Parts: sequence; C-alpha cells; structure tokens
Amino acid sequence: MTVSMKKNVFVYLMLMILGIIFFFPFAMMILGSLQKVERATADPLFWIPTNPTLYNFSYIMNQSSFVQWIKNSLVITIVPVLAQIFFGAVLGYIFAKKKFPGREFVFWTMMAVVMVPGQLLIIPKYVMFSQFGWINTYASIIVPELWAIMGVFLVRQFMMTIPKDLEEAAYMDGAGDFTIFFRIMLPLAKPAIATIGTFAFISCWNDLFTPLIFMTSEDMFPITVGLASILTKEGNFGVEMAGSAISFVPTFLIFIFFQRYFTEGIAMTGLKS
Amino acid sequence: MITLSKANGQAEPLILQHKPPLGRRFRLEFKKNAIVYVFLIPILAHFLVFQIFPLAFSFVLTFMDWPIIGSPKYVGLANWSYFFQDEIAWKAIWNTVLFSVYYILPTMGMGLGLALLVNFGVKASGFFKSLYFLPVVTSFVIISGIWAWLFKGTEYGMINYILSWIGIDTQLFFSDSKQALPVLAALSVFKVSGSTMVYYYAGLKSIPSHLYEAAKIDGASKWRTFWRVTFPLLLPIHFYVAIITTIGSFQIFDSAYLITGGGPNYATTTLVYYLYEEGFTGLRLGYASVLAYILFFIIFAISLVQRKYLGKDVHY
Repeated sequence: MTVSMKKNVFVYLMLMILGIIFFFPFAMMILGSLQKVERATADPLFWIPTNPTLYNFSYIMNQSSFVQWIKNSLVITIVPVLAQIFFGAVLGYIFAKKKFPGREFVFWTMMAVVMVPGQLLIIPKYVMFSQFGWINTYASIIVPELWAIMGVFLVRQFMMTIPKDLEEAAYMDGAGDFTIFFRIMLPLAKPAIATIGTFAFISCWNDLFTPLIFMTSEDMFPITVGLASILTKEGNFGVEMAGSAISFVPTFLIFIFFQRYFTEGIAMTGLKS
Repeated sequence: MITLSKANGQAEPLILQHKPPLGRRFRLEFKKNAIVYVFLIPILAHFLVFQIFPLAFSFVLTFMDWPIIGSPKYVGLANWSYFFQDEIAWKAIWNTVLFSVYYILPTMGMGLGLALLVNFGVKASGFFKSLYFLPVVTSFVIISGIWAWLFKGTEYGMINYILSWIGIDTQLFFSDSKQALPVLAALSVFKVSGSTMVYYYAGLKSIPSHLYEAAKIDGASKWRTFWRVTFPLLLPIHFYVAIITTIGSFQIFDSAYLITGGGPNYATTTLVYYLYEEGFTGLRLGYASVLAYILFFIIFAISLVQRKYLGKDVHY
C-alpha cells in the first residue's frame, strides 16, 4: 500500500465516522417515526422499528391542529420569502446604482441596526402589536419581515460589480428606471436572489422565538411552536418524530435544490449562525 | 453667458429658458430615478416604524412599569437598579458565559477539522460536506426533540447505552445541574459546526498553493506545514468565526426553552431565556427590556472587538 493510498483510507474512515455521527440523529428521527411506541419502552433501541408502520403519520395528520400549523408556517414563510427577494433586489439596485443625497448614510444606518439583537426589538414590538391588535395574526410575523438588510447588502455587493455602461446604454435607448431594473438588473442578480430566498426560507420556517411570543392561540401556531408544544409535554416518541419528519421535508427539499446558495451565501456574508 | 435682449433693454440670463419647464423636469427626473421614489420611501417608513421606533421605545420601556392591560407607570431607574441585585440575572449571564466556553472552541475546532477533511478532495467529499451541513438548516425544534431522547438520563437512553459499553455509569444529563449546560452546548456544536466548516473551507481554498509548495521544498512535514502555514494564514477566519459564534452563543434560547426549561435549578437559564421568562411569562416588560439592553451591550462590545481586529487584513 502506498503512502497516498493509506492517507486516503484514513480520510475516508474519518469522513465515514463523522458522517455516521452527523447522520445518527436524523436516522433516529426517520426510523423512530416508523415505530409505534406508546411510551419509551425499557430498551435503548426502542426507536428501531420492529414493525414499520405509518401509524404515527396518519395519527398526527388527523390532528386538525397539526395541518393548521403547517398551513400557518407556509403563510408566514412564503410571503416574507417573496417580499424579501423582491425588496432585496430593488433596494440592492438602488443602493448600488442610483445616486441621491444621503444614500450611504441611509444604507449604513440600516446595516448598523442589524447589530441590535432581535430579542431587544421584540419587547417594544409586543407592546406595539398589542395596540395594533396584531397578536395572533399573520401580520405580526410577516410585516416586520418584509425586507431584510442582509439581502439588500448581498444584491448591492453583486450589482456594484456590474459595469455602468450597461444601464447607461439602456437609458440612452430611452429605457426608464423600471425597465432597466426589471429587464437588465434583475435577471443578472439571479444568484444573489436565490441566496436571499434560501436564507429567508430557512430562517422563517425554523423560527421559534418570534411566533412563540406573537402567536398565543393554538390555531395560529406555526409548526415550530406546535412541535414545541408537543415536545414540552411528556411526549410520545413516534408521534414527535413523525411531526418533526414532516416539518423537515420543506427544509430538506430547499437544501437539496439550493445547497450551493447556502454555502456561497454563508461564505459571502455570514448571515445568521 | 448668452443673454436675450428684451424690449425694455434689460438682459435676462437665457439659461433659465434653456431648462425645460418644471413639470417636464419632474417627469425626466422621475423617469431616471422612479424606482428610488416608489420603493425607498415606503421602505424608509417601514424601517422607522419597525426598527428605529422600537429601538427608541425599548429604551423608554426600561424606565417604565408596562403592563399589557392597564396604564403604564414611570418608575425611574427601578428596573436598572433591580438588575444589579437580581441574582438570577447574574446567574443567567454567568450561565451564558459558561455556555460560550463549552461551545465556541469546540465549534471552531470541529468546523476546522471538517473543512480539512473535506478539503482533501477525495471522491464523495462533496456528499460528506452536505451531510455535515445538514444540521445547520434543520430547526432547533427538530434537533432538540431528538437530543432530549438521545440524552435521556436513564439507563435506557441511547447515549447512556453507548457509554455503558465502555463501562461508564448511567448519567443524568439534563436532570443534573452540572451536565445540563454542556449537553445543550453539545447540541449547538452539532448544529453549527457545518457552518463554521463552510467558512474554514472557503479560507483553505483561498490559501495560494505556492506557499504549500515552498514549505514542501523546505522539507517541512505535513504537521509542521499545518501549524506554520495553514493555521496562521487562517487568522482572519478564526477571528470572524470566533465573533459570530460568540454572538450566537449569547443569543442561545431555543434548546434551553425546549429541553430543560431553564432548569434544573436555573442551571440552563441563559440570558435570553431569562429575558423571555421575565418579559413574556411574568409580563414584566420593563425589566425584560433592561435585560435586553444588557444583551445588546454585550453583543455591541463583541462587535467592537470584531471591528478593531477584522479591519486588519492578512497579506500572503
């Protein structure tokens, strides 16, 4: 065996061991969801299905609230994702290409406010939204999330690399601002837009803290808060895992199709960690 | 300047008449900058209402007793002075610092290790890279649910079962006030290592290969090359990753809420968990705002460190 072959064997071995460790919790979720267990039995391997069944899935899908939670999650995810994509693109274009007094001041003020932790803003928002009558409405989650400065930043960085001649030529040809944006800039910014979309999706879909505070009635829970309410009660393992597995499906699909944008986006800005 | 003679002999600068009429100028300006007016103005309004106003209002809240029902009352510095004698608040800060200790270095080390492994570029390393990244996109709720069962504090828990193979007694994990916090930190290490891996991977890719070749010509061993070339050149990444994991660790909430509920005996009451309890279970919004400001000050201080050191670039 040559040295480089030995090295490769070692690398594969390490990759495999770590891979098993990283995959183990997911395996436990998937296998456990197929096992009908009323209570954790006196066996550490109770989660390996002896008799694989979809019982847990049909049980949880028949709970009217579970389906409602999924719907709520879809609403409070899809609307902000689309809005953040749109506003990220438009504002990124404005801050990269348009000239107006105070442009840099406005942009960097917005960037600076990112440093304020969300946990600080949520208290005054709770008071405001109570006044607005927004508690237990989609608005409380969706409206503050309509745009995000990190997405704007991403598009701005991207558009600053696009040569000026392009838009100037279009302007000379009589194209208006909107035409230039929609016909020229938007198609060019596709990779940045995909990054905004994937990040927005994951952060909205997985958010627990915000809806935990603004959504207090069970029929307005998103899936995170709903699952949390199942978890914090002493739970039925199989049902918990089935619920988790269902809530994992959209994340997983996004991950499979847009993984590249995650890793590029993380390396570019380090959005959330 | 060209002037135009008028009947009375007075001269008027022609330049004014060269300018198109006001209405037309507006139209031209709008055509050129329409998008600024149409979108930036509403976004600015949104920014003021949902970010600047709450920021100012939260500061006001720290001086108020603000019940949701009933009228708010000005209490001066009472909330702030209460903070300084609130033992649980200091315990929460201490727990958060401890959590950072358990979490930051392992996450960085794990991320670097994973990046180095993946960077060997053997076949299928892309697949493993995705696998290690998977927990990053998975919600805390899912991972916490699994973690609670993995680390069940009885002999039937999976981890206790594995530990029994090597002769370790049954551990209590979440029911033990010494073990609960490290086990929560382990959850975060598992969840976040994939993203630190991505930073380190990008860093490794940016190191020019001629430096490795030079080290090789000098006869340096792999081990020496790593510590003398790779590791120091990753300095900007170390800093960046250290800062973001530190900020992240001060905001830890989800797993403490989901698995331990701050217990046992306040052992996992982190700063944000305590803020949540005070603000939204106890409805002491004024005091919760004080705690939020403490969090803000801490994060602000960390960001200043970042600004000081991250501005310096490392040149190869």
